[in-house]
Amino acid sequence: MERRDFLKATVLTGATAALSGCEKPAQKLVRFIPEEDLVPGVATWKPSVCTLCSAGCGLMVRILPGEAEVVRGGKLGTIQMGLAKKLEGNPNHPVNQGRLCARGQAGLQITYHPDRVNGPLRRSGPRGSGNFLATTWEEALSEVVSKLGEIRSKNRPRSLRVLSGRLRGQHGELVRKFLKAFGAPPAMVFDPLDEPVLRQANLLSFGQASIPSFDLARTNYLICFGADFLGTWNSPVAQSAGYGEMRQGRPGSRGGFVQVEQRMSQTGGNADEWIAARPGTEGVLALGMAHVMLKEQLRPHVQDNATRLIAGWSEGLPDYAPSPVEEKTGIPGKRIERLAREITAHVPAVAMIGGLPLAHTNGLFSALAVNALNTLLGSVGTPGGMFFAPRPPMQESEDLTEDGNFVRDLLGAKLDGTDVLLLHNSNPVFATPAAWKVRNSLAQIPFIVSFGSFVDETSELADLILPDHSPLESWLDDVPESGTNRAVVSLAPPAMQPLHNTLAMPDALLTIAHQLGGDLGKALPWESFQDMLQDSMAPLRTAGGMHPPPSPEAFWTQVQEQGGWWGDEPKQFGRLASPHGRAAVKFTEPQFDGEESSFPLHFQPYVSQAFLDGSLAHLPWMQELPDSLSTIMWGTGVEINPKTAQRLGIEQDDLVEVRSQHGSLMAPALLSPGIAFDVVAMAMGQGHDNFSRYASGRGANPVTILAPVQVAETGSLAWAATRVRVSKVGKARPALFSGGLFERPSELQSR
Amino acid sequence: MSHRWGMVVDLDRCTGCEACVVACHAENNIPTVGEEQALKGRAIHWIRVERYYEGEFPEVRVKFQPVLCQQCDNAPCEPVCPTYASYHTEEGLNGQVYNRCLGTRYCANACPYTVRFFNFFNPAWDKPLHLQLNPEVSVRQVGIMEKCTFCVQRIKSAEVHAKMEKRDLREGEPTPACVQSCPPKALVFGDLNDPESEVSRMTRSRRGAKLLGELGTQPKVTYLQREDWNAKNI
Amino acid sequence: MRSIITDLSLVVMASVAVSSFFLNRASLAGSFRKRIAGTPQVFTPAHPTVLDSAREFLGWRDNAVQPLAFTHKRHVENQITCTACHEGVQQSAIAGIPNIKVCMRCHALFAKDRPEIKKLTAIFNSGLDLPWQRVYGFSPSAHVKFNHAPHIHAGVDCSTCHGDVTVMTVAVRAVNLNMGFCLRCHRAKQVSTDCITCHF
Repeated sequence: MERRDFLKATVLTGATAALSGCEKPAQKLVRFIPEEDLVPGVATWKPSVCTLCSAGCGLMVRILPGEAEVVRGGKLGTIQMGLAKKLEGNPNHPVNQGRLCARGQAGLQITYHPDRVNGPLRRSGPRGSGNFLATTWEEALSEVVSKLGEIRSKNRPRSLRVLSGRLRGQHGELVRKFLKAFGAPPAMVFDPLDEPVLRQANLLSFGQASIPSFDLARTNYLICFGADFLGTWNSPVAQSAGYGEMRQGRPGSRGGFVQVEQRMSQTGGNADEWIAARPGTEGVLALGMAHVMLKEQLRPHVQDNATRLIAGWSEGLPDYAPSPVEEKTGIPGKRIERLAREITAHVPAVAMIGGLPLAHTNGLFSALAVNALNTLLGSVGTPGGMFFAPRPPMQESEDLTEDGNFVRDLLGAKLDGTDVLLLHNSNPVFATPAAWKVRNSLAQIPFIVSFGSFVDETSELADLILPDHSPLESWLDDVPESGTNRAVVSLAPPAMQPLHNTLAMPDALLTIAHQLGGDLGKALPWESFQDMLQDSMAPLRTAGGMHPPPSPEAFWTQVQEQGGWWGDEPKQFGRLASPHGRAAVKFTEPQFDGEESSFPLHFQPYVSQAFLDGSLAHLPWMQELPDSLSTIMWGTGVEINPKTAQRLGIEQDDLVEVRSQHGSLMAPALLSPGIAFDVVAMAMGQGHDNFSRYASGRGANPVTILAPVQVAETGSLAWAATRVRVSKVGKARPALFSGGLFERPSELQSR
Repeated sequence: MSHRWGMVVDLDRCTGCEACVVACHAENNIPTVGEEQALKGRAIHWIRVERYYEGEFPEVRVKFQPVLCQQCDNAPCEPVCPTYASYHTEEGLNGQVYNRCLGTRYCANACPYTVRFFNFFNPAWDKPLHLQLNPEVSVRQVGIMEKCTFCVQRIKSAEVHAKMEKRDLREGEPTPACVQSCPPKALVFGDLNDPESEVSRMTRSRRGAKLLGELGTQPKVTYLQREDWNAKNI
Repeated sequence: MRSIITDLSLVVMASVAVSSFFLNRASLAGSFRKRIAGTPQVFTPAHPTVLDSAREFLGWRDNAVQPLAFTHKRHVENQITCTACHEGVQQSAIAGIPNIKVCMRCHALFAKDRPEIKKLTAIFNSGLDLPWQRVYGFSPSAHVKFNHAPHIHAGVDCSTCHGDVTVMTVAVRAVNLNMGFCLRCHRAKQVSTDCITCHF
């Protein structure tokens, strides 16, 4: 029998739970005394917080008692415990109001994932070989303590670095306090889903480096430049809820929606009008509309910082008359005039920009242009427009912009001299271009500790893995940045007991801090993260939301029961801070890597509906979820226009090679009419080398072949700036879905 | 008064996000078949989002349409089942009785909506993923047909609780998993026997249409067509 | 027929050997790269052997072997109601078998010198719960979801379906809970006999 067949058989009987008819009762395993008081068959609902994207929705977790295999006192046995069975939205949470997206619901599979690291591990072979051996928490933590003690005693505290995903709430505060007290540089945040260009534009235009929120429920007209706001961008559930109301929530009044992009996204599929302006010219289109509005005096003339940042505004934007705009964008001048008249006839109206347009080298210009357009529309801080979610009145040691930036430090050679790296919630080896050689840079660091629950391309470099609890097993808090007009602090106790021998990362840090003592111990006096959370919430008791303010004990109980604290519904949107921008900008042509003659097509990777940036590729529900547009499952394809494909001799399901100046990949071709002739697109998220049995060795990763082009003003990756060529190299078989009981569904796909 | 369950799908609100698809998987213990079986067309999604392209670039448009079992009053899948496993329940649902099913698949053959799925293999979950299974829903074995049940376990549970508490069902009770999750609130579910329920009112909408209604299946799901903003406002 | 069983048994033995080899090594990452995902592509019957399938179909079950000689009779004589231990029955679908903490509520104080109670206390003190074996319960292929709560609320006595527990030591299946039994009562009480009421 071949090894593959052996493994198939193993999966059948070794480590699977098939239906109960097939499975012998666990007679050899002891049963432990239940640690919770549970009535069989009775479901309870507990609040929690979704941590899978930056939206920060509130969850309700349905808990039912069940029997699970656990280890107690070194022995394997079973125990009756509360098991999470379903994730739904928390009806009281201001961001998602009881609803939840596809990905949030799949979060349940993180807790029960078969490839979760179930106890501390120490590397037992060469770095990156994937060989680890189990160790104990005492040994693992004391090794970290001794390493940190060592660098502190050598007076090299700046050789400790933290590489983390998004840092918010008290979890972020804890990391910041730890690093500051230790004397280490700020944490390096690597969050591919963040929007640094948008933050910078908002700082310049409005004085706040924040991600905006949108009052879609009261909008009459939305023009969106590239943002997949109904799918993966910003706060999709909140935005979808607002969108639903915009369309059919006001009898007699239906808001219109225009999407501007080169590739039909899931969001774009819902637009009343879909406009494919040339890549990198979205800002020009926005200003083209503004030109018409100024010229025909369709809006009261406004002079504001946001508009002052656009060169030529006070002269009426002469460079953005319909004719030059048509030349640059490819959109007829008459259409631009019509759009301008339409949008002003339907105020309140709002413009949105995000995603691909901001991933061009001129992304900042486009964002500033849209900010100016919104100002002209009068939609900044008004009903039906854009606004910034209020911050809760909590003690915060540092502003979000003060965190370090991994890409900046990586490319600025600031990683040199790092002795100890702590990793959490971030996979830059996967989600960066191969040209940046992130793996090489990280592999040089002498001592790497990962707090992740999974072995992935980055954490496989670790010397120690100190697995965190899964989110449902953790004390969680979050401060959503958008999607709500109220100040929100989400908070939830663990919804279930830990299944494995894991330790909450904040508690691990606190233990390490106490063992190191000194300033570090003083800066973090709390016994546990739970205590830190309770202290941090105290000022909110009298900050509104609960009237009259309850006693401190009652407040803490209520906050835990409802899933957080939220302030009162404001009567109007908050006022903006003073803007920071001075110098006026003008349009510059987007730069692309690769000569057009050799690399004729624009390459547009996009954030995937199922996997986001790839961090959810290990979830089987997400692998089997058919993509809304291509219906592909268990893989990714290259979306290409049928005319372009014909010209290149490519047919549906052909295996094609996509080659940039910096690498190549192979994937099936998916012919799609919803993409420009000179663009090819690919969802991010597949192409993992090592990320659980479900994602490893599957598909291709478009980010690896991207050119190392940066947006000058922010230093972030300009991931829309790569040109490629595409050629057929063979045949492929993408798994497409079209309904029940069809053989060879790709033959039946309507193209 | 007995209930008659129906649903409305507002295509103007639906964004094609597929939250409903995953909610259904989580609630109903739907197996994950893996790539090889998916290639053979054996993936199981009781509710799916269909996508239709119209036109060619740049005048290209997309329409999303969630399709699930229509619980037809004149269901083509019911007369063809040799064991009466597919039958019409007292509350108007098309019930699938798993223990009767022999796996002839005539019902799937007859269904014009292709919403019926067959378990070609005995479902297995890599431990401890089996802990995600909902104990209130059967786990179907190999050889059994399955399809959307309008979350009948939730309907039964709501009815049982209402009876025990000696009251009627409230508006919004019960709610299938897909309806509960939908962020733009495109899905509405309720009792068609109650003319004042939200689902009844929306079924009477002028935008309402039935999927393949011309076949005479009498589906109980009404689709509200997307409004054409351009036609009205330009 | 025999060869299929032999083949299957060989596969089972071989794979147990292989899987225990893998499980003993704490090595992770490397071995993940080649594992197969989803339902495997080998013959996947609902039962491991034909004999198992026949046993389930015909309703042959081994008698339960209980860890302690628990007598319902003695507890009923002491005025302990069914719901004192089988707590879920009024609110949920499941009556449940009580965990050892429920036993110790009383037995931490009462009958402590009896040999079985000594065994109970020893097990409790070692942090373990009792591995009771289910006596009642439908076979998985019946796909039936019985809900206790509405039956309790309708006034159905526990003994109707579970027999006269007051004369039982070990619980046994005194009543043959086949579908006819359920239907007889449902028809008599004029409660729904729609398939979907129980089979979903």
